[in-house]
Amino acid sequence: MRIDRLFIGLGKAVAVCMLLLWSLVPIAFVVISSFKPGREIFAVPPRHIFTPTLEHYAALWSRWGVFFDGLLNSAIITVGATVLAVVASTCAGYIYSRNSSRFLNGSVLFLIVVRLIPPIVITLPLFPIVNFLGINDTHGVLMVLYATFFVSLGTVLMRTFIDQIPRELDEAAQIDGAGRLTILRRVIVPLASPGILAVAVFVVVFAWNEFLFAFIFTGTNAKTAPLVISEMIGSIDGVDWGILFAASTVQLAPVLLFVVFMNRFLVAGLTAGATKG
Amino acid sequence: MRTRKLTELLPFVAPVHVLILSVIVLPALYVAWLSLMESSFGQAPSFVGFDNFIRVLSDPSFRSALWNTVVLVVVAVHVELLLGLLLALLFASGLPFRRVLLVCTLAPYAVSEVIAVVSWRYLFDPQAGPVTQLLLSLGLPVLDWSFEPVHAMILIAMLTIWLHLPFTFIILYAARLAIPGDLYEAARIDGARPWQAFRRVTLPMLGPAIVVALLFRYIFAFRIFSEVWLLTGGGPARTTEVVAVYLYREAFTYNAFGTAAATAWIMVLASLLLALGYVLVLRKQVTGNAH
Repeated sequence: MRIDRLFIGLGKAVAVCMLLLWSLVPIAFVVISSFKPGREIFAVPPRHIFTPTLEHYAALWSRWGVFFDGLLNSAIITVGATVLAVVASTCAGYIYSRNSSRFLNGSVLFLIVVRLIPPIVITLPLFPIVNFLGINDTHGVLMVLYATFFVSLGTVLMRTFIDQIPRELDEAAQIDGAGRLTILRRVIVPLASPGILAVAVFVVVFAWNEFLFAFIFTGTNAKTAPLVISEMIGSIDGVDWGILFAASTVQLAPVLLFVVFMNRFLVAGLTAGATKG
Repeated sequence: MRTRKLTELLPFVAPVHVLILSVIVLPALYVAWLSLMESSFGQAPSFVGFDNFIRVLSDPSFRSALWNTVVLVVVAVHVELLLGLLLALLFASGLPFRRVLLVCTLAPYAVSEVIAVVSWRYLFDPQAGPVTQLLLSLGLPVLDWSFEPVHAMILIAMLTIWLHLPFTFIILYAARLAIPGDLYEAARIDGARPWQAFRRVTLPMLGPAIVVALLFRYIFAFRIFSEVWLLTGGGPARTTEVVAVYLYREAFTYNAFGTAAATAWIMVLASLLLALGYVLVLRKQVTGNAH
């Protein structure tokens, strides 16, 4: 029996080690290599002990100013998309939670199904429309696109979270003469903040990292950080891996920390999102 | 519901529906119309019926892209499901530092496709990549992904599994935690061995979550674009192209909007067909809960 236990413990330890290698090695190599002196990045055999240097960050700063513009664009677009998605989803989720009718139930199903349409499909007609309206290459286009692809999930999540708030609280406020908007702002929003954070985590991660829409709808003015990094990979005549790793680390660090700190909300959101629609 | 109440509620649900109608639904319907037209830049569209669909479906490049996509989806999603299931069971069996390990497992969720491609291109660089070096020193075969289409597809599959395993894992782990402990207690008292408990308790109870995770991942894997585009660009010689990359090329390289639109609707129909399965499972769960 004790030998059995030992074997199980050993098996688990091996499994955990493999899990950690699998999940963290691709991230760790990017971050660590960004501090390696240039000639040691592709050293054979790989060198794990080296004197860290900031040379790639300095080169990134002096040669790729466009990357930092991209970071700023990413930040603006992420904030805009998140606010838009959270506000729209909270309002709709509140109504869907507190009311029910054939029309409303039908429209939730509609939201769930529409969410499953591949984004690349709609780039086809939107590209000429966006050009025609002269809003190509603006922050606004990406904010709206990113928010739209998460409002249906956001609405369903908010409905699930608001369902857990006792209706008696609404009713008490209603008796005190509060209207729907006041109840939403004063009663629902403070109590539904875990749901709001869960929706925000999804939109922030998506908007900060997205590639396809940014690739198609931005040129110079609203170019996001992932797009600039993709151009660094694309300059195939000589990928400067040091600079590439430095840029990747700068792009990755904030969103990784965000996910680490918000992991509870991410888990809650993923679970509710998949099982409730 | 009375109409008055409905008009009161409308302003709250309007933003969501306006966004979805104007950004997704109307454009998707316009694409359907476009798919029945012959059209390109600076040319008046003319009605051609299902010609575009026939042209796409008989295009060898599309067939190879569709084949690549289907193989990729089937292989990657099922491997991912198996790994996710194993991880969920590992976590459920009790681990020290559970929260820390959970966060580590979730980490790839935060990584952009672009950064993931940077990392995996480096790790598997055919000459000097650390993983290539490791495989060589162990005497194992390496991935020659810049020349061998099959090797490139393997790398793309691993990359996409890496990016999406956190999602699949969380769905299955949450479902596993929701199984009441009494069931395992009862199974043990009845003399069930661990494997029997897994077969008779865990697997049936996880059934709905497994189906949901599978359908979701089929739908989302089917639209794969960035990983392929950034890793191989569909090359060498269009051998690793997937449907979304084919669509992009038709539309934005060749300006063939008719065939691109037909490709788009083939994607929509495939997704909706899978979505139908998802809705049916949800329905079943809802009615199941009601009993």
